[in-house]
This record gives sequence, structure tokens and C-alpha cells, in this order.
Amino acid sequence: MNTIKIDLECCEGCRNCFDACFVNVFRWDGEKGQPIVAYPEDCVECNKCELSCPDSCIEVIPDYEGNYWPPVL
Amino acid sequence: MATLESLGTVLSADVLVVGGGIAGLTAAISIKEASPDVAVLVVDKCAPGFGGKANKGGGNLAFLAPEDSLEDMLAFRVQKVGCYLEDQELLRDFLSGTYGVLQRIESWGCTVFHKPDGSYVYVRYAENMPWRMALCEQDITESMLRHARKNKVKFVDHVSIVDLVKDGDRAAGAVGFSVIDGAFYTIKAKAVILANGNQNYKLMRRWASGRGDGIAAAYRAGAEMRNAEFGSFINWVFADTKEVCQGAENVLYNAKGENISRAVRPVIEADLASKEVVAWYKAMVAGDGPVYANMPENAIAQASHKAFHSDGVAVRPVTTRFWTLTIKKAMAGSKNPGPMQEVIPGFIGEGSPVRVDHQMATTLPGLYAVGDVAAAGSAWAGAVPAPPGRMRGGGMMGAMWMAMRGGPAAAAYVAGAGEPAVDAAQVEALKERIFAPLQVAGGVEPPEMIRAIQDIMQPVGNTIYKSEERLSAALDKVLALKAELPRLHAKDWHYLAACNEAGAMVGSAEQFFRTSLVRKESRGWHIREDYAERDDANWLKWIIAKDVDGEMVVSTEDVPVDRYPLKP
Repeated sequence: MNTIKIDLECCEGCRNCFDACFVNVFRWDGEKGQPIVAYPEDCVECNKCELSCPDSCIEVIPDYEGNYWPPVL
Repeated sequence: MATLESLGTVLSADVLVVGGGIAGLTAAISIKEASPDVAVLVVDKCAPGFGGKANKGGGNLAFLAPEDSLEDMLAFRVQKVGCYLEDQELLRDFLSGTYGVLQRIESWGCTVFHKPDGSYVYVRYAENMPWRMALCEQDITESMLRHARKNKVKFVDHVSIVDLVKDGDRAAGAVGFSVIDGAFYTIKAKAVILANGNQNYKLMRRWASGRGDGIAAAYRAGAEMRNAEFGSFINWVFADTKEVCQGAENVLYNAKGENISRAVRPVIEADLASKEVVAWYKAMVAGDGPVYANMPENAIAQASHKAFHSDGVAVRPVTTRFWTLTIKKAMAGSKNPGPMQEVIPGFIGEGSPVRVDHQMATTLPGLYAVGDVAAAGSAWAGAVPAPPGRMRGGGMMGAMWMAMRGGPAAAAYVAGAGEPAVDAAQVEALKERIFAPLQVAGGVEPPEMIRAIQDIMQPVGNTIYKSEERLSAALDKVLALKAELPRLHAKDWHYLAACNEAGAMVGSAEQFFRTSLVRKESRGWHIREDYAERDDANWLKWIIAKDVDGEMVVSTEDVPVDRYPLKP
């Protein structure tokens, strides 16, 4: 499973990452005004959240070996 | 008795657009430009402007410049690519409209690159490629989103549309739920445009977002499917990272060091074909695997650099940041730095069979479909998976062109259509069906079901190099999964959406295998081991799949080649 590291100290709550995710990995913590990595199992390493963060608080670490791929033949 | 309001939130619009990617946004803007008073609501399962594939790719837009020969391109497509299964009239309209699409999206604030003389910057992957690829910035859908908002298009985000609501035979809106809080939505509309992508079986990573929700909704509502047997697209991917290896198809070598693609691709071709997948399959079965891409020989990989990055061709900061980061991570994850890179055919699918006519109307009155959901179903591409339909850059361009045609057509339909009736009892029954997985205890979790479907679709012998025996066995497995669908369990709203996606995948797989069994010949991307030849006497036919009283009924229809200028 991929790892999505967020430095919440650095996060200013712009919601860009929440909007940028096209597979709904994030949920939004309305009280803290910050993202929650709720479904990392669905991350497909498009990196759009990381790229959308104005303060570079997010890093997507792909798990190329661990992600499932079926038999090809 | 329930009222609509007692079941959940009720919204209404003249036109409901399902999906806020490149096709949905283009359709919405096109409606507003044609008919500013038509109320347009776009609903997306995630966030409009960020979903879909357009903002995660190379930003290549297939087009013909005014000085290019339309007739040469048509002949190339029909004779060498789509093998006479095209709707040649639609293909002609599409190709001749591509240049205008570029101009139109620029007027919406999208960035497309020009040379100093005003002509479009373009890339060609191969010398014999009779079309060009213009370059846009990767924030194209964000630009469209801003323009749509300026034009008073309304949006709802994070709502998954599951089913269409009907008034008799006519589409009257749709129902769905919030993936965030589970709120149920009924959306009344005089016309619905499906623009929520094709079927990728959640396998190819990074960009392939299509889960077939729209295909499944249209099918359940009784709309016809066409060309479902062409939903088995692949890309060559690196065996270690599963990132796409552009151009591998031309430079494949078996473990003995023998080139296996030169025999089937004597010249460099601009896009993938299933014939080299068959060459890969035969090498693997013969024990001559694994298969490698010889990267120093890979001319398309060199050309891709131009097409994907900023350089002397076009300075694209958004696109460049995306690719630089993606490639940096993939390189770090790569186990083998050498010139010979092990590759495998990574299944993408691109099942896109919702049948539409020249106005992008489905067979259900009031229901339209544009972009990936109906790319093969429109029949512009013929006997190949669409998009890209063996025309690199054809996906985004096709989506926009279809939407510019279908949006105004839906608006014209709305002008003459009365307010449809939305029956609360029908909506209540749909709500019950949609939410049922929340009540199932000890059932099947959707990731498990999705993995089982992936295990059927990825093996090349099932979906690319087909045979009666392997297709039948695969169909049996799909039908066994279909019988398990009522046991799907959703632990929350996010996974309730996944249950709907799993059901859509099972439906797409059934369509694919049933139609593949019927086509007893080889044509274009459809290659049968047991019927190796193209059979123009019997198979200049489209295969149609449709739900009739809960059963999938498959029939054929003659392609009207007598009417078309190009004949076999």
C-alpha cells in the first residue's frame, strides 16, 4: 500500500489535496481544517495531491512492490 | 407512501451532466454557449475539474491541420486501423472537426501551444503517422472548470450517481449518494448526459479512473451497448513499477535475445496494436520469456520526451512538474537500470460501449453520452479499443469533440421536451437497491470482488488472444461473480461506491466476453486463435448487447458499408 505522508504542522488547510484526489483517498477534518488520509489503499500514485500542495507538506511514497497485480499470462 | 423529499435531497436541472472531467465540462460549457438559459448541473464522484484522465496524461490532442488530407486520413483509419467497422460518417465529422476544437477551447482559457507563425505546435511519433498531436497544458480541466463557473454552470461534488430515473422509456434524471456522508440525492432533469468515463477495472494505476459507473447505469436503464468486444486495451508497462513504457511495442525481445515485434511491426507505428501482445503471449507460452524492451532502440520513448515535457517544443510548467515527479519516483522504484527492461502487457480495458448516434443520443430518449463512456459505442474508431482508438491524442480530442456535439444536442432536446414525471416509488426502490450492501453482514468486501475481476481480465489469453475455450471459461467465472453480487458488503459510504463499481465491472466483463464469443473472426484488436482470419462476408457487423428483463441479449446489426465511401 502506498504511504501518504502529511506534515500537519505545515498544512494551512487550503483543501487543494482533498479536491485533487480523483479516487477519494482523503476526508476533511472540518474542526481542524486539515485533511485525513482515510483510504490510502485506494491511492494510485498520481501524485496530484503532492503537486497541488502550495507548501509542499505532502509526500506520496509509492509501494511498487506491494501493490497487487494479477497474473498476466 | 414516500415522497421524493422524504427519501433525500431533491435537486433539479434542465440538463444533468454526470462527471466533471474533460467531456462533462466541455458538454456543460457547450450547452451554455448554445443556450445560456438552460440550467446545467454537473455532478462528480470526486471534485469537478480534477477527476478523469485528462489532467494526468501527456496533454496530446490529435488533430488534422487545414493543409492535411482528410481523405488520406480516413483511408488510413478505415483500411488499416478500424477495419471497416467504423461509422464512416461520424469519423469524417470528427476528424474534420478537430482543428475547430483546438480554437474553441483556447477561447475558454485553455492553453494550447502555437508557433511564432500562429500555427499549432505539434508532435508526430512516427513518420508515417497521418495526424498530428497538438500540445496543451495539463491543467486543461481546471481552466474549463473556471470557464464553466463563469458561465453559470452549477456543480455538486463527491456525489456518486448510480442509476438513471425514467419516465416511461425516457430518462428523467438520476439518483446517487454522497460518498462523504451517505446523503441520498434525487436529481430531476429533462435530459441526462453521461460523461463519467469508461471501464478500466481499477487496474492500471495513476490515471485510469474509469470504473464503468455510467456504462452500468445506462445498461440497467435499457440503453444499447455496441462494440463491447473491443474493451481490452493494454499499455506496455515495466514489470517492476507497472509504469507505462512508451514505445516498447516496437522493440520487444525475448529472453533468447530475438526481436519478436519486428515481424509484426516492420515499421514504427504510432500506437499499440494487439498483434504484438499476441507475439508476447506466444513467446511466453513457448518458454522464451520474459520479454524485454530494448530501450536504446526505442524511438517513441525519445519522441515521448518531446510530447510530455517542456523543451524547445513547448514550455509546459504544470505538465513538466507532473512528469518529472512521476518519472523520478518510478526510476527510484526500478530494480534494473540496464538498457533491457522487462515489460508486460498491462491491462487498461477502456471498455466504452454505450451506443450513441451522430448527436451523441443513446437509444434511451433524453439520455446522451459523451467522451470515454461512449467512445467505442459511437463507432468512430471501428474495430479497436477507444479511446485512443489507435490514434494517440485521440482520447482527449474525441471527448471534447463528442461533448461539443452532444451538449447542444441535449439542449435542443430539452427545448422541445416537457417536464418529466419522477415517480417516488421508483426512486425508493432504487435507493433500497443502492444502499443494500450496507445491510449485508459477513458478505464479500468490494476489494475482494474487484481483485477477482482483475484476475479474469488481465490474463492475455482471456482478453487479447481469444479462443472459444478461454472466453467461455472466463465468462463462467464472471457469471459466478455476478451471482455473488448480492453478497457485497459496504462498511461505509466510500466502500458503498466501491460496491457499485464492482457491480459495474462484473457487468462490463460479461458484456465483453459474451460479445467476444459471438464475433467468430479476427478483426482489428479482436484476435481469435480459433478464427484467425477476417471474415468480411459474415462479419461486417456491429454486435449489440442489451438488457431485456434482466438477461443480457446479444444481437448483430449490419454496418451500412454500402452507404459509405470506403468499402472492403
